[in-house]
Amino acid sequence: MSVQETKITLRKIEFPACAKEALSRISQLICRRGPSLSQMDLALDLMAEFVFCEIDKRGNKLSPLNPIKELQLLDVLFEYFNGNIKEVFKNTVFLSLFSGTTATLRSRILSKLISIAIGVPSKSVLISASALMQQVGDSSMNYNKLAEAIVKDYFVLIPNATQRLSGLPDCAPQFVANFLTAVGEIYYNDKKGDVQFPPRSLLETVVLWVTANSKLCIAAQQNPSALPSGTIVMESTTSIAGLFKWCILAPIYKQDCELYAKLHLGLLNNILDIPQGYQPKAINHVHLAVPIRYIYKYAASLVRKKDEAEKNRYLLEDANLQLSLDRYAQAVQVALSVNCVYGNVGELLNQVSQLPQNKLWSIVIAANQPNK
Amino acid sequence: MEIQSLYTLSDEEYVIQRAKIALTVDPVAAKAWMITAKTLYPNNFGVQFEAYRIEKTAGHLKEAAKCFSDLIGKFHQHPEFWNEINKVTSALRIDSDLDPEKQFLSKMFKHISPEIQHKLLLITADHCEDTMEHCKLLLLLLQKFHSAIPSHAPALIDTLLSAEKHSHASNHPINNYRKILVCELLPLLNEETTTVELSSKLVYKLLHKAIEYYVHSLNFHNNNGQGIANAELSWDKLCSVLEFTARQLGWDPYLTTFGQNWTKEGYWQKLLTFCQSQCMNMDDTNNIRQLLYCLTVFFLQCLHDYKLSLAPEPCPGQPQTSYFLIEAFVDPTYPSPIIEPKSKRRKLDHETSSPQITVDKPELRSIVNNFLMTVKCWELLNSTEALQRGQLDDALNYIKQKQDQYSPLKRNLRAASIQYLKKNYYASYNHIRSVIEILPTSNNGHLSNCLITGGTQRHLHFLPLTKLGILQMCTKLLVRSILEKAEGNYADLAIGNILVLSQLDWPQEEERLPSLLKQIQQRGAFQYYLFQTYVVNVDILEELTFLWTHQVVLDVVPHLGPRRIGTRGADKGVKEEIRQAIKTQVCRSNDALDQLIISFITKERESILQALM
Repeated sequence: MSVQETKITLRKIEFPACAKEALSRISQLICRRGPSLSQMDLALDLMAEFVFCEIDKRGNKLSPLNPIKELQLLDVLFEYFNGNIKEVFKNTVFLSLFSGTTATLRSRILSKLISIAIGVPSKSVLISASALMQQVGDSSMNYNKLAEAIVKDYFVLIPNATQRLSGLPDCAPQFVANFLTAVGEIYYNDKKGDVQFPPRSLLETVVLWVTANSKLCIAAQQNPSALPSGTIVMESTTSIAGLFKWCILAPIYKQDCELYAKLHLGLLNNILDIPQGYQPKAINHVHLAVPIRYIYKYAASLVRKKDEAEKNRYLLEDANLQLSLDRYAQAVQVALSVNCVYGNVGELLNQVSQLPQNKLWSIVIAANQPNK
Repeated sequence: MEIQSLYTLSDEEYVIQRAKIALTVDPVAAKAWMITAKTLYPNNFGVQFEAYRIEKTAGHLKEAAKCFSDLIGKFHQHPEFWNEINKVTSALRIDSDLDPEKQFLSKMFKHISPEIQHKLLLITADHCEDTMEHCKLLLLLLQKFHSAIPSHAPALIDTLLSAEKHSHASNHPINNYRKILVCELLPLLNEETTTVELSSKLVYKLLHKAIEYYVHSLNFHNNNGQGIANAELSWDKLCSVLEFTARQLGWDPYLTTFGQNWTKEGYWQKLLTFCQSQCMNMDDTNNIRQLLYCLTVFFLQCLHDYKLSLAPEPCPGQPQTSYFLIEAFVDPTYPSPIIEPKSKRRKLDHETSSPQITVDKPELRSIVNNFLMTVKCWELLNSTEALQRGQLDDALNYIKQKQDQYSPLKRNLRAASIQYLKKNYYASYNHIRSVIEILPTSNNGHLSNCLITGGTQRHLHFLPLTKLGILQMCTKLLVRSILEKAEGNYADLAIGNILVLSQLDWPQEEERLPSLLKQIQQRGAFQYYLFQTYVVNVDILEELTFLWTHQVVLDVVPHLGPRRIGTRGADKGVKEEIRQAIKTQVCRSNDALDQLIISFITKERESILQALM
């Protein structure tokens, strides 16, 4: 069937039936060994015209779907990805629908689809979502947007989500692991201006998940997604460094919620459960070094306009700063002890040795000197 | 500041101290400190042990177990930790200890991974200087880790055997080493499908040890009435030892399958079938051995059950009554016994000469059934010459010898009965007197209706060992002794004594009265000076009064005796006194007869012996 014929056939079908039909055509086109460029193009055209209704038959841009059509489309998508298709094919279709140049355009639909999948919950959809998150990477804006949308849906709009979501790590551990990495990035981050703190219900949920599942943080690394052959597989980042950052920075941002101590302990236990003997890959030294900058800033504000001789005493007597440093040193020590930090560990130790004085840090640095 | 005051401590002490301080205010932070300390000083015993102690004090099972597991690989040589290891293993062996520390340790053990558990037990057993402890620990290891059986069970068997040999208990099969071997280890070996390599000589030896243990336990029970070993005798276990033996020696499983539906009757049939099918090749020693051991174990079990059923559990609040097999009485004038149709058929088939065995209550028939099964086994064991060979004789002779271990009561009762049967009435009476002296006081019991049956078969009875039961038996023995001694030619004294003794079992003994009265009537006089002390039965008094009013002289009041001869039939005063004497006796008709008979048998030795001479 020629390209034109396919489109003409599909145009005879009404929405949303045409979206359903288009999805099955798309999967036929791209789920094969080395699809040709023209097949890929056709698939992309079909997505734009028949699935997301972004263009008309002449290629003119259309206004976004009205809410009813959007709901119908979500229904079609949800049904498709819950269908009886091989995981790798599902992931292939999912990736081509929601990544690439059109990703921003479709992020609204994506976040709604994932929200539904969390609520149901649908393991099948979440596995594909997890593959997408892993492939686009944690630094991508879309990725953060997606996480923010989920947080909004589940932790801002719904008051008591914790109980409801407690079982999610059992259902889709890889997805939760990637989600944690994303939220770890969003909060306690001053890149976009003011530092944001996680909503309490999110924090509660994270503590519950991490404490109850000591292998959760490395779940995505342990079970990589099934991806189409030929894909350059991106190693997913664990949430350990990002979440540690919360615990380390919470005291100096006066976030004295007891949940941070629990999260900290949960993360330490997660580290202890990382299987040893492989090339370290759980924590990047760069990620682990992130809090340093914030601590410097805080320490500087603490001793501003203070007598030079008194500075050290102020720093030692500031309980928040010392708690922050203690937690930081504990995190680095435990991580180094199970050999799960990759990158330049010496550089990391060098950086932390510039931190304000702290007894535990000096012990940890001394204990981890390479010549020891 | 508090924290800063810690800066002078050494690094290790600082980290541990921080954990300890946090423990009281923030347990979560304390754990984070502890984890840090453990990763900082993985090879420092002090730190690792302190971490364990903190978790233990805080009552964290999982965490303490984890710390303990970390310690055991590296530091079990450390005396302080060794002490802790011993606490854990000793806690494991006491299930119901209220000591909270032991309870904690026992629970903690369950959180330790199986490999570490295995290691812990093995290390402890290897270090144990006390052999018994060593054996118990190894047993614990084998019970928890069946996979360790092939490698460690043979050594444990050797240790137990040689420990028994070298301990003081070597001559007593009831010892703790043997108990572990027979009651714990061997049944455990049978449970496992993994095979243990043992020589067949050793397998026979183990079976002998097991059987010996059970035989002695049976007699132990015998000795004390209610033995302690009794509760620990589980036949399932001996059967499983037998199963184990069979598997090891490659026996036909026909006789050594003791499933859920196992019944004695069924097994007995199996034994008979095996016997018949194998009787052609009785020279096959393997078959004979098989039959011999299976039959022996079965016999011992029947014997044990029989002994148990002799002293059934009493109803709550009731004293326990035990039963004792005695030779009871047969009287052809009695109606023939009613035999249950089922057993009747069998009896007519092949055992018309076998004795009939009675019990007082139908619910006690199990005694009889157990007894009969035991006897059948015994007979089968003795029926084949081939079977009599071998070790069994030792065991059985032993049981025979142990008969003198009966209680004095049973021994005297048995002796009285035997002497009566041998017509040594005098000796029989002496034993009866011994029995009467030690009658049970707390268990009164009832009179039986089953001591005498009709017919001509030998009659055996399971006598309840109660005060009344035994007294009734003794009284009957004595009555019969006197009757048989007199051979129909009764002296007044004999008649009087019989009248007194018959009162206990009235009206069962009533039928004897007419012939005695006839004798008195023929003689026209009856002299019996014990009348006022012992004759209180209204029926007897009535009959005597009747004779007296029909010209029979009653010489029953001692001080009237000499005058009676001269004033025969004329002295109104004397008549009045006899009337009065009879009246007095009638008033006593509600006296406690058992006490009356007891004092008669014990106090009137002269009069009774005179009737027996």
